[in-house]
Amino acid sequence: MVFSVVIIGELLAFILTLAPLNMASQRWNNLALISLFIQWNGLMCSAVLCLLRPFIKNYSQQFIAISSYLSILFILALLSELTFYIMQQYAITDIISATSHWEFLTHNLLIGGIISALALRYFYIQHQWRLKIEAESCTKLQLLQARIRPHFLFNSMNSIASLTRTRPDVAERITEDLAELFRMILRDNHELITWSKEKELSQRYIDIEQQRLGERLKIQWHTDTIPDNALIPALLIQPLLENAIFHGIEPEINGGSITVSGEFDSTKLKISIQNTNSKNLVHRQGNKMALSNIRERLHTHFPDNASITCHEKDDIYFAIVTMPYQHKPDE
Amino acid sequence: MKILIVDDEPLARERLTHLLTELNHDYQLIEASNGLEAIDQVNNEEPDIVLMDIRMPGMNGLEATSHLMSIDNPPAIIFTTAYDEYALQAFESQAVDYLLKPIRKERLEKALNSCSKLNKLQLEQLGQQNREISYRTHISAQIRNNLFLIAIKDIYCFLADHKYVTVKYNKEGALAETIIEDTLKSLEEEFENSFLRIHRNALIRKDNIEALQKQSDGRVLLKLKDLPEGLEVSRRHLSRVRKLMKT
Repeated sequence: MVFSVVIIGELLAFILTLAPLNMASQRWNNLALISLFIQWNGLMCSAVLCLLRPFIKNYSQQFIAISSYLSILFILALLSELTFYIMQQYAITDIISATSHWEFLTHNLLIGGIISALALRYFYIQHQWRLKIEAESCTKLQLLQARIRPHFLFNSMNSIASLTRTRPDVAERITEDLAELFRMILRDNHELITWSKEKELSQRYIDIEQQRLGERLKIQWHTDTIPDNALIPALLIQPLLENAIFHGIEPEINGGSITVSGEFDSTKLKISIQNTNSKNLVHRQGNKMALSNIRERLHTHFPDNASITCHEKDDIYFAIVTMPYQHKPDE
Repeated sequence: MKILIVDDEPLARERLTHLLTELNHDYQLIEASNGLEAIDQVNNEEPDIVLMDIRMPGMNGLEATSHLMSIDNPPAIIFTTAYDEYALQAFESQAVDYLLKPIRKERLEKALNSCSKLNKLQLEQLGQQNREISYRTHISAQIRNNLFLIAIKDIYCFLADHKYVTVKYNKEGALAETIIEDTLKSLEEEFENSFLRIHRNALIRKDNIEALQKQSDGRVLLKLKDLPEGLEVSRRHLSRVRKLMKT
């Protein structure tokens, strides 16, 4: 920031020396003096603002802006007075001999006021821009992690490493499952796929987790009523199954069971995922992104008549998705 | 050398068994699938090294480690994990041994050769930096060199008497008591959600209160379910007990 202040100050010094057209002979001398004065001002203001920072940083933006600006003007006035005094005392130059004291002060305050306002504005915008970039990259990462729990990825890798020795055929199948799942996860998931495809993806996911959790994971599917050609947002069910495993199965020594059931009445689909809830006193802190992500996607595809609700009853946790029935045109 | 492998996933244990056997045929390998089993195994088998997974059902690796640290000659502990953003930062900062799954054979060998014993300070820091997984589900006591666990849900009260804290608990339906090393103050802080201080020397489980009994000499006793004699409530703590009983 200090470097930018020096550059801005030097540019201002150039402009001020170049502006008057009739003083060609003295130009370089003037530039040196004006530079000295402006840099002195600029660096002094930067130093004072840095010192002020701990005292004003907790106030509102408006207060910070006004107090910074006023302190800059104050320093400008102070240094102008000092300069005027020194120059008069030692008669260093005749630049100011022609101008009155009052004129010198107002001149400096006006020019300095305008330039410092522009500079402050520039730094403010630059700061906002930097914040925005940081925020954006942060949300992108969160979105990605909402789709892929890092735990799942690394645990699966570990399962594969283990299976490779003892049951290479299963390792092969799990690798294929993982590839298929990730191909869908990494796609822009704002699309609709058929229920049969979604069910297949979910079952591949369960297949991977089954290897890891063994008997602890029990799952039942009662979804025969849902037509295969029904269209639903891609990867709607898989994150809900992931949640069920994370909160209901993994924390229990003896595991638990998940039931996926479907209802269909020619206009509407209802898919519910139920899992036995862990009785452990402390619940695991989950990733709330999954639910809000699903809600958002449902809203994009079916703005008014789709929903996801969650509730707990008698130690069973329910996540229920309802949406209108749309289907792929028959080929 | 005897090595205990602790992991809730059979495949993860299987892989470690393979790797360790490849490194040295003479390693004696034993297994446990959660923290509780791990403590049993340490009691019975006295392994030299424990390879401890962090996230496990029943009792997680950090809690099991904190109990193991209280025995006289604890085994060296190497943590293993697939992914734990916060735990790993803590391990780095405390220079604690850990291995990332899938574990490489060379890394495993290096860790086994250089593993050092954890100290209490390191462990405390780990707990503070991992709030989510550092709660205790059990209290441990050492009886004749063996570590002995009491589930928090079985405890009626903690009573301080001079230097020692006695814990009264439900042992398979019968009332039992034992001396533990924790202080009443630290227990009160740790379990403030489920336990309440009723006297300078007593901490009781909140959901076990039955009734308040006023004595003829002005003292107030608190009757707990399943506990024959009442416990004295000091004047300072009486209002808080009353408030709790109203809700």
